Amino acid sequence: MSDLDDFKATYFDECSELMNELEEQFAAIESGERDADRLNAVFRAIHSIKGGAGAFGFSGLVGFAHAYETLLDYVRDGRVEMTDDVVTLCIRANDIVADFINAAQTGEELAADYGAEEKQRFDAIARGQRGDEDEWSGEIIEEFDIEFTPVRVELAVESEPEVVVEAVAESEADTFDAPPMPAEPGHWEVRFTPFRQLYSRANDPLLLFRELGALGEINVKAILSEVPPLSDFEPFGVYCSWEISLFAPDLTEAAIREVFEFVDGDCRIEVVPLGQAAAPAAKPAAAPKPVAAAPVAPAKAENLLALTEDEVVDAPAKPATAPVVEEEAGLSFADLASEIVAAAPPKIVAAPTPKPAAPKPASAEGGEEGGNRSVGVQSIRVDLDKVDRVVNMVSELVITQSMLTQQMDENLRARYTELVRGLEVLAQTTRGLQDSVMAIRAQPVKSVFSRMPRLVRELATKTGKKIKLETIGENTEIDKTVIEQLSDPLTHMIRNSADHGIEDPEKRKSRGKSEIGTIRLSAEQAGGNILIIVEDDGNGINRERVLQLARDKGLVAPDITPTDEQIDQLIFAPGFSTAEAVSDISGRGVGMDVVLSNIKKIGGSVHVRSWTGKGSRVTLRLPLTLAVLDVMLVKVGESPYVVPLSSIVETMQCSGATFERVPSGGQVLQVRGEYVQVIDVAQRFNMHSTKAADERFVVLCESEGSQKVALVVDDIIGQQQVVIKSLEENFEQVEGIAGGTILGDGNVALIVDVQGLRTTMIHQNAA
Amino acid sequence: MTLRVLTVDDSRTILAMLHHTLSNAGFEVLQAEDGKQGLDVLMSHNVDVVITDINMPVMDGIEFIKNVRASGQYQSLPILILTTETSQDKRDQGKAAGGTGWIVKPFDPDKLISVINRVVH
Repeated sequence: MSDLDDFKATYFDECSELMNELEEQFAAIESGERDADRLNAVFRAIHSIKGGAGAFGFSGLVGFAHAYETLLDYVRDGRVEMTDDVVTLCIRANDIVADFINAAQTGEELAADYGAEEKQRFDAIARGQRGDEDEWSGEIIEEFDIEFTPVRVELAVESEPEVVVEAVAESEADTFDAPPMPAEPGHWEVRFTPFRQLYSRANDPLLLFRELGALGEINVKAILSEVPPLSDFEPFGVYCSWEISLFAPDLTEAAIREVFEFVDGDCRIEVVPLGQAAAPAAKPAAAPKPVAAAPVAPAKAENLLALTEDEVVDAPAKPATAPVVEEEAGLSFADLASEIVAAAPPKIVAAPTPKPAAPKPASAEGGEEGGNRSVGVQSIRVDLDKVDRVVNMVSELVITQSMLTQQMDENLRARYTELVRGLEVLAQTTRGLQDSVMAIRAQPVKSVFSRMPRLVRELATKTGKKIKLETIGENTEIDKTVIEQLSDPLTHMIRNSADHGIEDPEKRKSRGKSEIGTIRLSAEQAGGNILIIVEDDGNGINRERVLQLARDKGLVAPDITPTDEQIDQLIFAPGFSTAEAVSDISGRGVGMDVVLSNIKKIGGSVHVRSWTGKGSRVTLRLPLTLAVLDVMLVKVGESPYVVPLSSIVETMQCSGATFERVPSGGQVLQVRGEYVQVIDVAQRFNMHSTKAADERFVVLCESEGSQKVALVVDDIIGQQQVVIKSLEENFEQVEGIAGGTILGDGNVALIVDVQGLRTTMIHQNAA
Repeated sequence: MTLRVLTVDDSRTILAMLHHTLSNAGFEVLQAEDGKQGLDVLMSHNVDVVITDINMPVMDGIEFIKNVRASGQYQSLPILILTTETSQDKRDQGKAAGGTGWIVKPFDPDKLISVINRVVH
């Protein structure tokens, strides 16, 4: 059928537009723009795809899009948070949707369970939000079944369903004992009382009668008893109701109710089967006002009056299928008619169709609301400022505590043993408190890692290379501030790997490597640090080229021959770019120095290693927390300095150490057969050492890549925790100094940046 | 007399299918891609019945229906909501805003026509 083919072509065009739209929206969403407009646009796109797919019977696509759409709907109205995880899942889902569309277009068969895993995850996320597993899965299936065959849901029950059931059950028990008399099938009476809103929605009773008329013989009678005198007449008031008697040989209640489908809730409808015996009784009974009935049989009055007429009328009709209604209604009504109908026609006649199934849909509806209400409180959202205030106060508490400890000299210790014990407990508690507070700020690196697969996919497409990304240790937790600072450096590092590291498939093949390049992103905790490592199995750093460029740019003097390691580190030099043609991927030589400066800003360091033809590895060493640092307090001249404990390997007295001069003018220290560069901190910071050379101390530190460096200081005072204060914010950046801190006695001490010191020494030597 | 139908949907596929079905059944069909455009069409054309989607950019169906009903001249214009929603709440929202009835997507051509005939004179 050519029409259908035309529509399909339109649909696939539209799909490809919508997929592009999705792509664009998610690019923004990934970068943190998660406003309602974007989420709505995403929802609409999937919704449209689903809508069209339904029209053409692409059931796999419909099913998947439906689950996805449900999740998006929840995200859209805030019931599910658009976390990075959800974003990743959605991006994956977009790919699956694209596959379904493609399969639909090409007629290709996808696996029956294609996308099932993601679909389950949608359900799981949505279910987690609802907190009701059984009901949810039920809804998904039922909803799906219902949705694509135009089925009406008959009537909404507004009351508590239990009440309805109870009332119905009881009236049944009371009134249906006697053997029923057969009613004449196909005879019905409809009592129709429109409410004002029926008219305000452009529905028209006349049209309804016309439609009823199409069902069979019809006789319409207007009830005008409610029409007020003209003086009381409201222009928009609704005063008229109707009684319609209907006959058709196999007319069912369901068919009649279907006519009133659109006006459900906007009117009162009673559909009463007219039996041979009942008919005469019912007709006169209905003549008085259809509204409230005065004399009701006392036994039933209580239950029934507790409900509005609508409820009684509507409840049984909902689940009952047509034949059942007809039969049961017919059986029951005849018995009732003479006795009760006369007294309270609208109520009693409604009761005869109780079905055990009645509570099911009703309770499902009620349960949905209940699910929303009873979401368990597992986590709370707290303003980060509040957390930071706590972190700051805890930090100050740590300082105060260490100050108190310092104030306790031997004399006081001996005299106040109770106090000492108290202080020890305080120290322990403070540390515990600090850990707990820091844990609040810690987040898994997953939130950053999860953005990378997409990046790699894009890079692979742009460069025409085949690249796969492996991520390891994404549950490693790290301070939130550090995580926030991690995204740019990681992006640059991965771009660099994809652009410069991984080779073209042909080249890889010729090197005997797999065509698919691997970038491995991993996170691990190592002591007080977190290591983030980006490795690739590509080309490695082209050292000749790097050195050449560095010389050209005056970064390395012509007469200096740097080591391989030093050449590798040059890629972090500001303004350095090795891309022979600057690509839009790696940027314009701002990539890797951004990495270095971002990482330095958060107290971390960067190290690169490269194996020619085999790959390279960039390691980011990051502090676990930004606020508090375990340090060793040392003295240089008269000033206190602190060295991060995490970087210290060992300490020794200078008297026992062997220093040797090297031709470049520096000194090295021989430690167990290994030569270690010596940095005299006093000399480096232009201080005057107060001590004789062999009374001084060596603090042996490890910087990036297990490179050791020996710091020579005048004295070692002890170990403590300090709160890091930024030097940049309070003064300016100083090379070799990572920050400052205030000691227990109120003095300011500077934090030695071991890696920085070492790097500046290399640069000095090289220059 | 030829009845004129305004169809409002952001999906070209749905618009095309509505157009096909409705014009085959002898209706004159007007199209709009969102509620705003729909209102514009209503300003300049006499329309006998409106079929509108709910989820649309710029102005959604609910807003559109509210706007139509708010203008005195369209209080008795039948508006059918085109929906795939089964949760009922969109449909209920549409009705509360003044929707006359609804059509469940995907629609069967005969069913579509019969629904329209239910709400127009």
